Amino acid sequence: MEKDEAFMAEVLNRTAAPRQPSWNTGGLNSATEQVGNWFLNPNWDNSMDQSDPFESALSSMVSSPAAASNVPVSGENVMMRELIGKLGNICNSGDASCYSTPLNSPPRLNLSMVSLPNQTTLAPFSADPGFADRAARLSCFSTGGNFGGLNDPLMDSFKLSPMAGNSGSDKKNTGVSRSSSPENAESGVSKEESSVSQQIPSRNDAGTRKRKSIPRGKAKETPSPAAADDKVASENDESNSKRSKRDGAPAGNGNAKAANDGDEKQSKENSKLPEPPKDYIHVRARRGQATDSHSLAERVRREKISERMKFLQDLVPGCNKVIGKAVMLDEIINYVQSLQRQVEFLSMKLATVNPRMDVNMEALLSKDMFQSRGLLPQGIYSMDSSAQAFPFGYQPQQGQPLNNVIPNITETQFSMKTQGFQLPLINGFTDANPQVGSVWEDDLQSIVQMGFGQNQPQSYQGSITTGQVKIEL
Amino acid sequence: MNPSSLKSRFTTRFLRALTKINAHKPISSSSPGPGEIFQRYRRIKVAADKSMAYSVRSRRTWSRATLWRLRTRSPRSRLATHARRSWVKTRSTRAASHGKEKKEDGGTVEAEELRELVPGGEAMDLCNLLDETAHYIKCLTTQLDILDRQECTSREL
Repeated sequence: MEKDEAFMAEVLNRTAAPRQPSWNTGGLNSATEQVGNWFLNPNWDNSMDQSDPFESALSSMVSSPAAASNVPVSGENVMMRELIGKLGNICNSGDASCYSTPLNSPPRLNLSMVSLPNQTTLAPFSADPGFADRAARLSCFSTGGNFGGLNDPLMDSFKLSPMAGNSGSDKKNTGVSRSSSPENAESGVSKEESSVSQQIPSRNDAGTRKRKSIPRGKAKETPSPAAADDKVASENDESNSKRSKRDGAPAGNGNAKAANDGDEKQSKENSKLPEPPKDYIHVRARRGQATDSHSLAERVRREKISERMKFLQDLVPGCNKVIGKAVMLDEIINYVQSLQRQVEFLSMKLATVNPRMDVNMEALLSKDMFQSRGLLPQGIYSMDSSAQAFPFGYQPQQGQPLNNVIPNITETQFSMKTQGFQLPLINGFTDANPQVGSVWEDDLQSIVQMGFGQNQPQSYQGSITTGQVKIEL
Repeated sequence: MNPSSLKSRFTTRFLRALTKINAHKPISSSSPGPGEIFQRYRRIKVAADKSMAYSVRSRRTWSRATLWRLRTRSPRSRLATHARRSWVKTRSTRAASHGKEKKEDGGTVEAEELRELVPGGEAMDLCNLLDETAHYIKCLTTQLDILDRQECTSREL
């Protein structure tokens, strides 16, 4: 225990300093200290030195059955690995603000808490997300340390945990380099760091990269989070998604090569693990899906398309209930067609209504001037523009003296009249909304009466003209 | 109202065009024949489309396509349409090959219809097509709004 603690401290000290710049080091130092305290926690219960009670404790703590099933009986090392992998989930749960990863749950937190090295149960540990976060971050540091020669479970857990260090910080390097030599480890880590410098924290299964044998620290763990750009992402994704168990890859040379090997192992490992969350923002090969660059690009494209469809859904009225691309497209097509027809219809109306050319911009642009817009969409949806009923509203001469009077008219009255007069025109074309027409008949009647009643020279109002129009027609 | 918004830009241009159209054609007191009305209608429609496309400038594919279409309608029709068709063909083949594997993905039947509706949509893949459609719908609604108001104001008098 003391040896482990000393080792921990050494690891912390070593990794904290060099890794500092590349991390969100706001709470890094404190995190390292806290984790150090965590490791030196006298509360550690050293009673667990067998796999079975450990396993039972794990299973009792883990709520999700999948997770429980993921605890193999093979060996404590594997168990440790997986538990440490769960530790990574804690980080995600700790940073719930950034990402929605449904698999993060407190039971996992407990599980990984328990999975400390030397099978010590950490019963007193509560599911403190912040704590887990810091722990995971600290564990990420382990990649920089010289772990090559360490074969104990502690080393293993440290080596694994970096993958689990998927905290909300974008700069986390979750890759674990398991090179046998410290230099490889550090270089690998640095590479991973640079590659993931802008990456969003990866999914839970990032931390589940297990390796079969602890002593073999050759295989490098691939950086789990996706890169900011698609290229890096696809590259990483390909390696990540394969998720193979690290099988002591012969060469920890290149990141890619080792990554591929590691990925292959990880994929097998992942089969035991719970379903990783798939709702990530970044581009990433999802589990069980093809991982070549074509599929990734296709997936990105599909996501873009669905995003745009959602936007269109807001634009097109009445599309909220419809789900499905084809039906939505049909609705959009209908709507665009109706809009185009309306434009034609209105321009036809304008052509016949011989306009007053001195209508000013404010009159046109005033928002609350006319309310007639709402009628047209329903009524003209299937209308064909025609010039049959146009003489209806054709009043060239009488409109002239009223140029100055329009602003004086109360807008409600005006809108009513305009609506009333618009409707007969619409109904002349379509039988789409007979009920709407009946509603407006009353308004028309009232307008006509108003026109009759207000037939006085001094009160030049729109109603007069409209009333006269009605009469003449 | 935002002086440089799409709406105001369109309104300015459209009113200008409308004035010109109405100035051209003498306001016949007697009921104009259907031919006259139809001619005016065509002019007004063209004016509306043109002003909208000009308000959007070349920022959007559909506006560019509309402007092209309007520009090359009658005068140099044959040459222009031929050029346009060849351009469209190359673009569409490129787009088609791009989306060939995903023939079923975009609901190609509807996508084709949409392409016909939205000007300039023939040579776009589905992703951009949806983008253009959204903007086109927004501009169409603006156009309709102004047309509607114009029509109402002129009718009321």
